[in-house]
Amino acid sequence: MTKTNAPAPRLEETQAFIRAVRARVATVVVGQDVVVERLLIGLFTGGHLLLQGVPGLAKTLLVSALSKSIDLDFARVQFTIDLLPSDIVGSQVLDQRKNEFVVRKGPVFTNLLLADEINRAAPKVQGALLEAMQERKVTIGNETFRLPAPFLVIATQNPVEQAGTFELPEAQLDRFMLVHRLGYPSEDEEREILARNAALGVAKQDKGAVVQTEFDVLDQEPVGSTAQIVAAMEAVNSVHVSETFVRHVVDIVNRSRTHPAVELGCSPRAGIALVKASRARALMHGRNYAIPEDLFALAEDAMLHRMRLKYEAVAEGLTGRDVLEDLLKTLGAPQTGALSTAAAV
Amino acid sequence: MLRRALSWILLAGLAHAQLAPVRIGIPVRVTDLVIEGSEVEALPIDPKAPLAVRIVAVRPHGTTFRYDIEYVALEAGEFDAAAALKRKDGSAAPIPAIPVRAESKLGPGIVRPHAPKLGDVPGLGGYRTLMIALGVVWLAGLAVLVWLGRKRRQATAAAHARRAQTLSERLRDLVQRAHAGELSERERAELEMSLVAHWRRRLALHDQPASAVLPRLRAHPEAGPLLVALEEWLHAPPPRPPVDMQRLLAPYRDLQDDELELAPTGAR
Repeated sequence: MTKTNAPAPRLEETQAFIRAVRARVATVVVGQDVVVERLLIGLFTGGHLLLQGVPGLAKTLLVSALSKSIDLDFARVQFTIDLLPSDIVGSQVLDQRKNEFVVRKGPVFTNLLLADEINRAAPKVQGALLEAMQERKVTIGNETFRLPAPFLVIATQNPVEQAGTFELPEAQLDRFMLVHRLGYPSEDEEREILARNAALGVAKQDKGAVVQTEFDVLDQEPVGSTAQIVAAMEAVNSVHVSETFVRHVVDIVNRSRTHPAVELGCSPRAGIALVKASRARALMHGRNYAIPEDLFALAEDAMLHRMRLKYEAVAEGLTGRDVLEDLLKTLGAPQTGALSTAAAV
Repeated sequence: MLRRALSWILLAGLAHAQLAPVRIGIPVRVTDLVIEGSEVEALPIDPKAPLAVRIVAVRPHGTTFRYDIEYVALEAGEFDAAAALKRKDGSAAPIPAIPVRAESKLGPGIVRPHAPKLGDVPGLGGYRTLMIALGVVWLAGLAVLVWLGRKRRQATAAAHARRAQTLSERLRDLVQRAHAGELSERERAELEMSLVAHWRRRLALHDQPASAVLPRLRAHPEAGPLLVALEEWLHAPPPRPPVDMQRLLAPYRDLQDDELELAPTGAR
């Protein structure tokens, strides 16, 4: 891997590229601006994403649209209970003509991998993928293969169903830079979704015809290139992070460890993720410096999955969001050692 | 006449018998001792006397009396038990001698007991004194607490008064120092979050999620200018653009006490 020593990229060009990608994704996905932003943050910072939401929120369409917008390879794996690690990373198969084993690479060898419903697979399969995510290389047989760059895993998890699922442990959740919780679209957005869907035509195929889906109307012409992603990554790295911002980050991460309702606070990875993601968000919002707004906007995605509440707090009806809200509201104030939503602000 | 002779004989025999040594501390009782003359009684016991005598019983004996007496020798030596008796009617008639010879029976080389150890000095006074002392201590403690509380209230009141008087000025000072880059890292962070908390309270945005509050504050016509300017000063790389400080601080001109929590100037 060679480290680029290119001069500071022009922010305007990168921002124009980001705008074009967002506009292209918006042609098929209504709303979900925040999710698109999180995907781009992951792409530009090399951090993986876990999307948590009920089925039917256009997660697959979103990732597919993003990959086509930037000319990236895209693969989707539906995780099931009978999935094996080799189904993800690949395996060696016997070539009967040459009478030798050849490597058949798995779907992990791509730029954008959508791991659909990751919590349905057995822990060893989850472990194999998470290892590949962390090390960015895969060993098949005796050979080690480097994964393509960029490499971004976007996993999804259905929060509703519990039966037949294997919840990701904290240590593995920690490897996802951001965990974003998708919500339902607003009424206006839903109306727009229906209108667009109604406008989809019928495509003739062979002697018959099929009803078109949003996937069929995706423009195949990319609006960006891998080189532009590299430029964007460099631009993100050039975004200024002040001492004050770092202090806010350290403060909130530390407070998550001493909050009376929290059993397991955020790891240092949370702070790293917050700084990285804040830089990318700042760039997307036209700034070359990160501000507390970036921190506040990303805190839930970067911190919530890295915190575990005490049993007593859960029994009292507290949620991770409540605690995080308390942490954000008391940021910069002396620590009170109690849930002090009212007192703080 | 015959009776008197017999009495003397008896007393002489007794004197002879009493000369047989007795042991110190062991009471000896003599019964049916006839003493001529009027009735006798024992003198009050003298604690310093070497011999203690008491009369156990008195019975008439013709014109005289017959006595049962008991004596205890407290020292070795020869004594007269009659010296501890007197006539009951107060007459001065002599009482015949009752000789007693007492001996110490402790042999040589006897280990004498150790001197008793000194015990603890008993507490001065009794329960009442103790209660009075405790009461005095309690009252003294109460007085100290009252005094401290009054002092603290006075200090708090003074601090409040000082803050009410100078809150706007202190904010102006902090903002100017922030613009000049003179604040410490902690002061910068606290100033920024104090302003956010202030506007959140002032605009009644308590129920809004923290992530939604900041964009609203940045866009607010009153809250926005200083917050955005602070962001540029505190987070953007230099240089800092010139600012109109009067315009930025206009919404904070009439700050009331407790409207803004500012850290003490110079706090590290």
